[in-house]
Amino acid sequence: MKYVGKPTPRVEDDVILRGRATYVDDIEPPGVLYAGFVRSPYPHARVIKVDLTDVVVAKGVVAVFSSEPPFALGGKVRYQGEAVAMVLARDRYLLQDALEKAVVEYEPLPPVLDMYEAMKPGAPLVDESLGTNVVYDKTYEGGDAALRGAVVIEGRLSVRRVIPSAMEPRGVVAVYDGNMLTIWTSTQVPFDVKKEVASALNLPLSSVRVIQPYVGGAFGSKVLVYPEEIYVAAAAYRLTTAVKWTATRSEDFKTTTHGRAMDLEYKVGVSKDGRVETIEGVIYADAGAYYWGEGLVDTAARMLTGPYDVKYARVRAVAVLTNKTPLGAYRGAGRPEATFFIERIMDRVADELGLDPVEVRKKNLIKQLPHTNPFGITYDTGNYIATFEKALEKLGYFKLKKWAEEEWEKNKRMIGVGFSTYVEITTFGHETVIMRVERDGSVTVYTALAPHGQGLATALAQIVAEELEIPMERVRVVWGDTAHVPDGVGTMGSRSITAGGSAAILAVRQMKSKLAEAAAEVLKCQPEYKEGVFHCGGKSVELRDVVKHMYKKRIQPIVEVTYRAEATFPFGVHIAVVEIDPETGFVKPLIYKSYDDVGVVVNPLLAAGQIHGGALQGISQALYEEAIYDNAGNLITQNLALYPLPTAVEAPVFEVHFAEEFHPSKHPTGTKGVGEIAAIAAPPAVVNAVEDAVRKTSRARFCKTPITPEEIYNAIWKIAPPLC
Amino acid sequence: MKISLKINGVLHEVEVEPRKLLVHLLRDLGYKSVKVGCDTATCGVCTVLLNGRPVKSCNLLAVQTDGAEIMTVEHNEMESLRVSFKKHHASQCGYCTSAMLTIAYYLKKTAKTREEIVEGLSGVLCRCTGYQNIIEAI
Ligand code: FES
Ligand code: FES
Repeated sequence: MKYVGKPTPRVEDDVILRGRATYVDDIEPPGVLYAGFVRSPYPHARVIKVDLTDVVVAKGVVAVFSSEPPFALGGKVRYQGEAVAMVLARDRYLLQDALEKAVVEYEPLPPVLDMYEAMKPGAPLVDESLGTNVVYDKTYEGGDAALRGAVVIEGRLSVRRVIPSAMEPRGVVAVYDGNMLTIWTSTQVPFDVKKEVASALNLPLSSVRVIQPYVGGAFGSKVLVYPEEIYVAAAAYRLTTAVKWTATRSEDFKTTTHGRAMDLEYKVGVSKDGRVETIEGVIYADAGAYYWGEGLVDTAARMLTGPYDVKYARVRAVAVLTNKTPLGAYRGAGRPEATFFIERIMDRVADELGLDPVEVRKKNLIKQLPHTNPFGITYDTGNYIATFEKALEKLGYFKLKKWAEEEWEKNKRMIGVGFSTYVEITTFGHETVIMRVERDGSVTVYTALAPHGQGLATALAQIVAEELEIPMERVRVVWGDTAHVPDGVGTMGSRSITAGGSAAILAVRQMKSKLAEAAAEVLKCQPEYKEGVFHCGGKSVELRDVVKHMYKKRIQPIVEVTYRAEATFPFGVHIAVVEIDPETGFVKPLIYKSYDDVGVVVNPLLAAGQIHGGALQGISQALYEEAIYDNAGNLITQNLALYPLPTAVEAPVFEVHFAEEFHPSKHPTGTKGVGEIAAIAAPPAVVNAVEDAVRKTSRARFCKTPITPEEIYNAIWKIAPPLC
Repeated sequence: MKISLKINGVLHEVEVEPRKLLVHLLRDLGYKSVKVGCDTATCGVCTVLLNGRPVKSCNLLAVQTDGAEIMTVEHNEMESLRVSFKKHHASQCGYCTSAMLTIAYYLKKTAKTREEIVEGLSGVLCRCTGYQNIIEAI
């Protein structure tokens, strides 16, 4: 039975494609009340008075909350859209009518929106209790400072704020029946929700059950427990009723964490032949109104040297509070920023020294794995130079370059070809699997992984079926309900199959020895196992009969295995080909190709899907998306009409390759993670490609995402070519 | 107001408030495959076929559809597209998938070239896939 490595369609699809997958807004418990929030129009204001007199008497209104649970902590709102009161009504339309009747008196305070302004003395404070807006400041340093490059290059790079924009807005349903509080929520972390709700309401953990229904995308933005999840749970608990909240899109854009929003100020020391010896710099993260995005700027700092053998590095990681939506994880969470920074630096080095960017990479790539970077992170396995060279060949990089030249010469088409290379860090924490062999020899696997589109139930079933040598149809994976599955972390950080899948493999191995013991009793000899049958002494017994024997003897064929997964490091090369319309500066992504060493690939069909989606997000970050606030702190890009997500028209043609000569991780699965690599690799590849196209007429250098059509137009026509 | 409409071939007679959106009526009637993803009629995840043509059901009042025939992804005629979507891994989180299938059903009948399919799909946003697998599935 060979499943691992085979492109296998998803078991999840059968329900989704019939329109029967249940998302949180599809859940309608009897008598459910609809919750809505009165939200601050100001980004920074003292809440003087919340007057809900007219709301309480409005048609359909059942209850209002404005002081309990505690809204507007410290009597202050810190970003536009922060909740100041909650209203429950019998009907969604009546709820909207009622919300409009709320009268809130605010004392607007001057907002601070720019992180550099926020760092200046005398700037308005987002959180007075800290006495500063610099909420985090830590310096990482390592390596040998004695080696200094002959050439010093300084600069500034910027990855602007974006909105993750899962197609399903956040939502939560909570029901309290007098004993048990059950919560359905659009989350990546059911167990965190359970813990935080229990602690907020002072309930025993055993009285709180959290169910993750189908989740319509998350990309890191649903990895936190949000205030609304607590508010709705609290309301259901206090009133012993059922309450549901579904965010509108604009509510979601203002209150679900944003991503990226980091700048790097850097100084690198380079040898004349293009070896980057030292990197020094400061990474600033615009953390927004609450420091929910802990660790993001640290990851960006600690991965800043990328796959390169930099001898010395010193990076300060700074996070600054501003009156904007809190910053949080977004697909890659620190690694896309680090990768954009270091790849732009490598391209700049090549440009300044007149070297080929390919040669600069070869000169700097780490030669021997494992390798410990200056900040003490040890990259596990790989052969970066060989993989890099193979990738360029396989992806036809030089051919594409030549074709783009010809198209320019013959047809004046402005086509650019760009590449990026990356190493990223995935996987952390423990994951537990409970596995039960049913009375007929079929298998149920319980996991705390919290998939939301990745197809993890399929991938886990493949892994278990392969390890137990039984048909995949006989394996079912249960996830998403804290009443059934073992306590675990959830799905984020490209960790799920490596951590959860490895736990599953170990569980199968334990199960096999448990089954072998029982089979030995039946067969009266020490059996061998093959494809669902135990053999020895010319006799054999099938799995199902072994299990029957166990059940008869009151031995449950159940195992529980916890696996602690250390970090592992995918490496790869991605290529973007874009075409610029010189009349408008608009960019059409034409082709996107990837070549990745992610260790073992469990399901190439699903892995390629992760590349497609991640790449399109990265392309869109590079070319279209930015969360924009006006000077008063209003989120201008507050809905999908104003925030441009890519459509099928913008999508390039994808070509996905996984390295034939791959380097497995040391985990039982041998996997390294695939969920975020393309979101990490795409932005620098795309910016590189745009720069390459623009270079046909002008010597511009781009140093931020997104690059707007206006900037491109100005560069092409030499009106204001950016050079940084 | 009382209206009558056929949904996936089944006749419904319902009393609706004039301000109720078609998407909410459909969902209240149990056609939960029809999703809501925005408040600006931009995302297209609420797409259904109204008398054979794709419409955003959040952008119509239910009362405007009196006498209409509506088709959603629950309809049996979607089966061959379902098989193709599964084979091509054209769905990830699934939130846009009902709309994608619905529009795919329409494009199967009307679009002649890949460009027309791409153009036709651009009315529905998907944040998970790169669209390529959806295009290939069609
Ligand atoms: S819900 Fe977004 S277009 Fe209808
Ligand atoms: S599959 Fe998630 S939005 Fe399309």
